[in-house]
Amino acid sequence: MRSSLIIFAFFVAGILAGRSGMLPAGFDFDKFGSIALFLLMFLAGVSIGSDKNSWKVLATHNYKIIWIPVAIVIGTLAGSALVVLIVPALTLRESLAVGAGFGYYSLSSVFITHLHSQSLGVVALLSNIFREVATLLATPILVRYFGNLAGIASGGATAMDTTLPVISKYSGKSYAIIAVFSGIFLTVLVPFLVTFILTFRIKG
Amino acid sequence: MINILIVLSTGILIGFLIVKRPKLHQLNNNLLSWAIYLLLFLLGISVGTNKEMIQNMGKIGYEAIAIAIASIAGSVFLSALLFKFLFKPDAK
Repeated sequence: MRSSLIIFAFFVAGILAGRSGMLPAGFDFDKFGSIALFLLMFLAGVSIGSDKNSWKVLATHNYKIIWIPVAIVIGTLAGSALVVLIVPALTLRESLAVGAGFGYYSLSSVFITHLHSQSLGVVALLSNIFREVATLLATPILVRYFGNLAGIASGGATAMDTTLPVISKYSGKSYAIIAVFSGIFLTVLVPFLVTFILTFRIKG
Repeated sequence: MINILIVLSTGILIGFLIVKRPKLHQLNNNLLSWAIYLLLFLLGISVGTNKEMIQNMGKIGYEAIAIAIASIAGSVFLSALLFKFLFKPDAK
C-alpha cells in the first residue's frame, strides 16, 4: 500500500511538472522513456531470476495449486473481455491488455504505454492500482462468500507482496504460501502476456 | 517488441547467476523501485503535457474501474469453483 502511494505520487508529480510548462523544451522524453523501459525490464528479470522461492514453491507443493493462477488468468481475461460490451470505446485487445496486468500496475502501465498508447497506459495504471486497493478493502467479504481462494484471486500478482498480509489474515496462514506462489506466477506472466496480447496478429 | 523479451530473459538468466548473492538482490530491488518511479514520473509528464488526456480523465477512470471490477469478478468466480471442487474436500 505504501509503495503504491509513492508510485502514485511520482505519477502525479509528473503530471504537475508537465502542466507547469517549466520543462526544458527539446528534451526527448519518449526516447529517454524507452531506454528507461529496457532498464526496468532488465532489473525486473534479475529480480525474478534471483528469487529462489519462485522455483521452490512448486516443487514442494501439490501440483494442483498450479490451477489457481490458471483460473485467475482465465477469469480475469473473461471478465475483461465482457467489459467491451458496456464500454464500446475499448477494443477487445485493449481491455484484455489492461486486465492482464493482474494488479501489477507499474510494469503493465509502462509496457502498455510503449507498446500501445499513453492513454491506455494510464487506464492500466489506474485499473491495476484499483485492483490492489479493492483487494485490500474487500478480501474479508470475498473470502466469506467465495471461499479461501477469493482474496488470492482478487489480488492477482499483488498476492505475493502488498495484499499478502490481508489474505493471510482472512484466508489463514496456510493459504499465504499459495498466495505467494500464485502471485509470483502471475507477476512473471505479466510482461509476456501483455506483450503477446498487444502484438499478436491473426494471419490472413 | 521481441527486444523487450530478450532484455527480460537476459535479466532472468543473470538473476539465476546471483541467486546466492543477497546483497545484489537488495541493490537490484532498490534500482528496480527507482526505475519504476522514474518511468511513472515520465508517464505523468506525458499525461500532464497532453491536454486531450487531462480532459478525458473521467472516461479513462471509468474504463479503469470497469476493467478492474470485471477482472476481480471473473477471477473470484472461477476461484470459488476451484475452491469448492478441488480444495474444499481436503479441508480437515
